[in-house]
Amino acid sequence: MLLVVAEQRSGSLNPVTLETIAAAQTLQQPICVAVVGSHVGDVALELSSCDVSEVLTIDDVALEPYTSDGFVVALSQVVEQERPEMVLFPHTYQTRDFAPALASRLKSSLIADCVGVTSKDGKLLLSRPMFQGKFVAEVVPVGTAPHFVSFQIGAFRADSLKRVTNAVKTREISVSVDPSAIRQRPEDPFKEAKQAVDLTQAERIVAVGRGIKGEEHLPLAQDLAKALGGELAASRPICDSGWLPMDRQVGSSGQTVAPTLYLALGISGAIQHLVGMKGSRTIVAINKDADAPIFEVADYGIVGDLFEIVPALVAALGD
Amino acid sequence: MQLWGIELEREILEVDVLIVGGGPAGLSAAYRIAKINQERGGDPLAVAVVEKATDAGGHMLSGAVLDPSALYELIPECESLGAPLETPVSEDQIYFLTERLKIPFPFTPPPLRNHGNFVVSLNRFVKWLTDQVEAIGVDVFHGFSGSELLYEKDRVVGVRTGDRGVDRNGHHKSTFEPGVDIRAKVTILADGVRGNLTKTLLRKFSLDRGSIPQVYAIGIKELWELPEDRVGPGTVIHTLGYPLEFREFGGGFIYALPNGTISVGFVAGLDYRDPLFDPHVAFQKFKQHPLVAELLSGGQMIRYGAKALPEGGWHAIPKCYVDGALVIGDAAGFLNSMRLKGIHLAMRSGICAAETAYDAVKAEDVSGNRLSQYAHLVESGPIKRELHPVRNVHQSFASGLVPGLLYSGLSLVTGGWWFRDPMPGHFGHVRMQKLSSRVDQARSKRTSGVLVDRKLTFDKLTSVHYSGTRHVEDQPSHLHVLDTDICRTKCFEEYGNPCTRFCPANVYEMIDVSQGDSKRLQINASNCVHCKTCDIMDPYQIIDWVPPEGGGGPRYEGL
Repeated sequence: MLLVVAEQRSGSLNPVTLETIAAAQTLQQPICVAVVGSHVGDVALELSSCDVSEVLTIDDVALEPYTSDGFVVALSQVVEQERPEMVLFPHTYQTRDFAPALASRLKSSLIADCVGVTSKDGKLLLSRPMFQGKFVAEVVPVGTAPHFVSFQIGAFRADSLKRVTNAVKTREISVSVDPSAIRQRPEDPFKEAKQAVDLTQAERIVAVGRGIKGEEHLPLAQDLAKALGGELAASRPICDSGWLPMDRQVGSSGQTVAPTLYLALGISGAIQHLVGMKGSRTIVAINKDADAPIFEVADYGIVGDLFEIVPALVAALGD
Repeated sequence: MQLWGIELEREILEVDVLIVGGGPAGLSAAYRIAKINQERGGDPLAVAVVEKATDAGGHMLSGAVLDPSALYELIPECESLGAPLETPVSEDQIYFLTERLKIPFPFTPPPLRNHGNFVVSLNRFVKWLTDQVEAIGVDVFHGFSGSELLYEKDRVVGVRTGDRGVDRNGHHKSTFEPGVDIRAKVTILADGVRGNLTKTLLRKFSLDRGSIPQVYAIGIKELWELPEDRVGPGTVIHTLGYPLEFREFGGGFIYALPNGTISVGFVAGLDYRDPLFDPHVAFQKFKQHPLVAELLSGGQMIRYGAKALPEGGWHAIPKCYVDGALVIGDAAGFLNSMRLKGIHLAMRSGICAAETAYDAVKAEDVSGNRLSQYAHLVESGPIKRELHPVRNVHQSFASGLVPGLLYSGLSLVTGGWWFRDPMPGHFGHVRMQKLSSRVDQARSKRTSGVLVDRKLTFDKLTSVHYSGTRHVEDQPSHLHVLDTDICRTKCFEEYGNPCTRFCPANVYEMIDVSQGDSKRLQINASNCVHCKTCDIMDPYQIIDWVPPEGGGGPRYEGL
């Protein structure tokens, strides 16, 4: 059995959980999804439309808000009761916080930030990038189960998730969490910027590069993003100039994204940018320079002037 | 200092000897002091090393062919301790290159005979040396840069490490942590070529008053994986000539490591005349030469890096001791440019400094006078023995390759004698000629871009990716350009913004301003591989390299 640990905060599901379930579904094994927190019924209900064996709820007031001690205690009890073969997480900041401790508490290790999983001759073969994505290492978990694995965001696609029409059953698992054993006292989530955007969650992204020339031309790209119902992002020079906040930067020193549609406007496609977006499903590039490396990864390319093409696209989408 | 109305105490750490820089020089000094602690008993000296790289050896880059003599002296049992002396040198080859041909030298000049030396990865070597230093009880603090020297009157009393968590406008972020004051009886500066602390120390005390100007070169290298061993591991190839001109100093190198891995690199003197010269382009052209291109065909570039090196030699070494401080390694300029080697000299200078510092602390006298014992050890020992006979070699190349080679040959017989000793030298940046004084179009074509195929040849931005360089983006630029107006006016006219070419990491760009036809300087500080070339070669000397937030910089592996 595979145990997927869902991520939720105050009753709203982090959709990257669906990517991890999709990853688990490729292995053709029974899957349980665990939702940990307090009052997680709605999240469990939302997940019950996924094609899994069951959804487990671990509900305890001591588990909200999130603390690493609380999650380690609760999940180690769940793992010991349910004895999964593998425990899977999306590789979020929260996972990075507690999963290593959980794995070591259960005398196992965490294979983190994986981008693929296959099973070969009954053995699991995980792939994870090394050296900034230059190599992909194949890792075989050894020792006794359970093995702990986290998946890179964007490595699997939430839209390939198999769903069912009749909700799967939900089972409550009770755990004992001693609130006095929790050493962390979390404060309210801190946001560095006021309108922090999470590009990793965006379905469609319109990204601009140096070809946009000046800050005053940004509304052009903004209009296109709006027309597509997507988010605006940028390559490093744009954010470096302060034209857009840094949380909209895509690439090796920014976000790694994998939307359904990535529209690159005036982005040459330096490798530092490509590593942050090449996992996108459909890449459309508009660039004046036909030799720009962005066209090597683009599914559709337009060699031309974005100042002509973008308004035309906005107009067409507006119809 | 205050933060949100809360008084923040700056942490203070006290040690006997502080070493700034975890390279071969600094680590040798640390190891030697720890060893003397063991040998002589009594109260051991507390020693600490600070290093700006996050991982041991992360900012280390060299060819490298290691002369192991200093290592054997420092750690006689190094081989049983697993020193990564990858491959003994098996063969030396030297070629003079023209655009298409390679002309082998009829014999290998004695300084370039590498029998008994090893082809190593400096980065792996330093990683190992760090382990040895830590095992013997020295604290090595990684991810901390020395941002300023602490003084009491005119005595150096330690180093303040850089603040963390400052945003690009200089405001404190939520993660702000003030730097730590590390106070020491003796501070040993091993901050490398054109070290930022050494630079301020030299200025404050005019320590280079009695020496000729230090001249530098930039070394650019890549690590390649080939489908098979095309040259035997341990093969060492050096080239002169193409793509450089006769009056330019430099050359290429190819060092073969085991398992089809090879180091390919190019060194160019930072005293070239042509402002349109681009060392990264020269390196790409070197790789396109049939000798190199055939070797690399079907292979894969896996790592990239660049670093400046001090070439001035004996006469360019400044006074290396002041009250409370010593300067060692590349920071001082201990490098033999005739043998193309400096690691062993850096280590030796570290050993000399360690002995001096130990005695001074025990004698409770850390005055410059007392610390001059260091200069005495350097002058009476193997460092001077090796550097003095070649003291004029680099300067002789200032007149060009042919006079340089002739003089170098002569110096082997004469022990370095020359009519004028020291042979006069000039700062490299003053030799750069203004564009108006040269209108030769053919030559400017020579230094313009090469066709980038991203297999054999790369653009700078792609190269930077393979250096693993990372910096926190939201921090003040660590490259201070004192007057950016000069860039778009005077420098644009006179030199055509050479920073956009001599920087091997695409840090400097002149970009169009959206209104009007003027340009402005764009500093991509997060690309910086910490080579220091800009600080050295900028013709107006208005670029000041200061350390970025600790931990930023390249992540070299295997270089």
